[in-house]
Amino acid sequence: MKTFRFASGLTLAALLFFPGMVFAQTSPDGVGGSASGGTPLPSGAAGDSGIAGVATPSSVPATCSTTPCDPGVRGGLINGQVGATATVPCALASVLGTNTCGQASQTPNPALDFFNNGLGRFQIVQTVDTLPNTGLGPRFNFNQCSACHSQPTIGGTGIANNPEFTAITKGIVSGADNTIPTFITVHGPTREARFPYFFDADGSPDPNKPNGGVEDLFTVSGLAGASSCSLQQPGFAGALATNDIIFRIPTPVFGAGLVENLDESTLIAVQTAEVGNAFGVSGTFNHNGNDGTIARFGWKAQNKSMLLFSGEAYNVEMGISNELFTQDRPLPGEDQLGTGLPAGCLNLSKTGYPEDVTNFTVTANSDQSAQNAEVPGDIVLFAEFMRLLAPPIPAPGVAGSSAAASIARGQTQFGTVGCATCHTMSIDSTQVSNVTSSLSNAAVGAFSDFEIHDMGVLLADNVSQGTAGGDQFRTAPLWGLGQRIFFLHDGRATDLLVVIKDHASNGSEGSTAEANFEALTPSQKQDVLNFLRSL
Amino acid sequence: MHSLFHRFLVLLAVSLSLLPAARGVPQNGGGSSTNPPQAKKLPTNVILNKGAWPSASDSVTPLPEGGRVTNNVYGNDYFGLTYALSPDWTESYAGPPPSDSGYYVLAQIKTADTFKGPDRGNGLITAQDMFFSLAPAGNALELINYSRDKLNAEYYKVEQAPAVVRIADHSFVRFDFVAPVSDLHWYVLATQIRCHEVQFVFTSRDTKLLDSLIQDLSKMKLPAEADLLSGMGGGEVPVCIKDYAQDENIVKKVDPFFSDRRFNPVPVRIIVDKEGKVKHIHFLRAFPEQAKAISDALEQWQFRPYLVDGKPVEVETGIMFGHAPRAPTPPRAAAISK
Repeated sequence: MKTFRFASGLTLAALLFFPGMVFAQTSPDGVGGSASGGTPLPSGAAGDSGIAGVATPSSVPATCSTTPCDPGVRGGLINGQVGATATVPCALASVLGTNTCGQASQTPNPALDFFNNGLGRFQIVQTVDTLPNTGLGPRFNFNQCSACHSQPTIGGTGIANNPEFTAITKGIVSGADNTIPTFITVHGPTREARFPYFFDADGSPDPNKPNGGVEDLFTVSGLAGASSCSLQQPGFAGALATNDIIFRIPTPVFGAGLVENLDESTLIAVQTAEVGNAFGVSGTFNHNGNDGTIARFGWKAQNKSMLLFSGEAYNVEMGISNELFTQDRPLPGEDQLGTGLPAGCLNLSKTGYPEDVTNFTVTANSDQSAQNAEVPGDIVLFAEFMRLLAPPIPAPGVAGSSAAASIARGQTQFGTVGCATCHTMSIDSTQVSNVTSSLSNAAVGAFSDFEIHDMGVLLADNVSQGTAGGDQFRTAPLWGLGQRIFFLHDGRATDLLVVIKDHASNGSEGSTAEANFEALTPSQKQDVLNFLRSL
Repeated sequence: MHSLFHRFLVLLAVSLSLLPAARGVPQNGGGSSTNPPQAKKLPTNVILNKGAWPSASDSVTPLPEGGRVTNNVYGNDYFGLTYALSPDWTESYAGPPPSDSGYYVLAQIKTADTFKGPDRGNGLITAQDMFFSLAPAGNALELINYSRDKLNAEYYKVEQAPAVVRIADHSFVRFDFVAPVSDLHWYVLATQIRCHEVQFVFTSRDTKLLDSLIQDLSKMKLPAEADLLSGMGGGEVPVCIKDYAQDENIVKKVDPFFSDRRFNPVPVRIIVDKEGKVKHIHFLRAFPEQAKAISDALEQWQFRPYLVDGKPVEVETGIMFGHAPRAPTPPRAAAISK
């Protein structure tokens, strides 16, 4: 049985000891300083982002005075939220109730108990067979959700110091049985890898044999509790040598409950409103293969719900079977073209399957809702945590300041050149929620239409998921973008100008908007960049 | 004995030689070492796994997406359109494949490196299949009016409301707007050909440049049918009729069976010959197995011949298979009243 007791303690400690650490780095207007129109905003307030473990550009490049540049990761309040810290993200207002983000609960609140329990479980370090947190592997990318979803706080995306790079030095995997793949670097993006195609016998990728499944970076071989399991890592070197590898970075999930609660009719209305645009854009939706409804999570909008997202990630990224994905997961090659996982690699947790289950018995607790929160399996609590995460709040600058003026102009420019055709600034509104009132009748300022769009040869990854083809991607939500480090599905870029440029290529729906952006004056471009970093 | 030993050695040698092949390269990519030197590389910047993609039942019949820029002239046999790009303009990127709501980016153009003007520009040639448009519009004029109604007043100011103009001796609607914050201007011109809204969009800060593009459009060649309201085929191409594949026009119909993917829209344009058989199938966007299933079904369909002045003619219509996002919009009088 997995429990939250240990993590609860960690969370409590974080709540008690670290709430003030970010306030000290907060600038009054939340954008880190003033800027005149068309000039770059200063980056992080103190040279660093002010966010634990995150290095940001320490100074604006000299050329920025004449040439537009990405101001870099925004400092100030994490997610624009008072009280959020690097380890404590804020819950939705209706979940907090009379409590304050970043401070210990003052009043009983069942929803907040579930949120905090989920936050705790999100940070648990999983092991092969050390109770109570067993089930890691036999193949996995990392041993802790929060390690990969941490920028700018838990629930986010990859941080600057890639945890995967430390897997051997920190003893998370055995260095005798694993190597760090060359595409995992110390300050590079946190990544998962996929091989678009299976290989022929001579090592050539075969375009007639689509694969596309996740190839986990590491194995448990050589770890305590895994002596019976001898597994090789996937052939990353061969895949790299033949161009048969693509990468994905973690998607942030702040505000995910709002996205989950958008009705089909609302999304279709957004799609219909895009008809007749002057930018060459016409997207479609990915659909859940079971009931045909619109899916909306993941880089290709392949997942329908937070619960599915959680169950799949637990199984695929961490190798932990659960009530949605009930077996240990072999690699696609082992599964579809091979014989599955070797017997010596099964049931390493010695608990049987699934490894993550509903806890039929829990420790008695005088706080009934805290006790109740112990009952569901991890994936339910992960989903609840993500569902109840507050969306990032933009930092538009102090009213009347030159920074605010630049950001406001940039927002309008962003709309006029066509970016907002797909990156729909706000969708009105969510359904009535049966979870919590903050999810009801709410605008979703995600800067996404949640459609999948053809993004051309430059971004194509040749992986098909659901009905999304090799170059189709969900419009990436931009809320919280100002405090992200790595961009695009594979984390190839850290500079927003590169990101914008990569929207244009043969076959891309983004080419005309990019051309319009290029038609702006340098000062206008800078306004757009300042706006983006205010999100 | 010697012979037996010899046979054993030969067998051993053969077995050893086969061993690497039997092991092969693991399907997960060949272990952690590099692949053998003979391994072939995948090309980069190519969409190999296309997913749902356009295709057709033959490679001869022109398709809307088949237009090309050659020697700085955009030609499209399906639309019967020839448009010489203005001097110092060139093709930029190829457009995306047609969408499953029938939208085509036929060409994207921009000012060339040789352009010397003060402000550069870019342009789009697009088409919207009126059979599959998500907007409640029955013809090109209604679609442009829809665009005007949806124009975000926060960003744009209308410079010229949609108005009917003559270009290259055909009726177009022209609609101009500007983004005051950037001083970028858009000139939009549209007509209708074969039940498609065909649109030209030009963008620049320099209105003189845009005016010159409009002037150059007058040299464009269009089919006789091109008309803002009534571009419905006919003459050398089939007559196009929205929702012609209704029960009252069909003698025999077999539904396709999708075994796997069932929830994406699969828009299909067909040409029905004078005998009522399906002559040509154009999948705007379909997975290969969906295209095969639909082809197998449509080959069995039998329509009543479509008569004009008592004589059978070819007719082109659209059918949405798969998971249509909503009921198709009703045909508008202007689109079917020819």
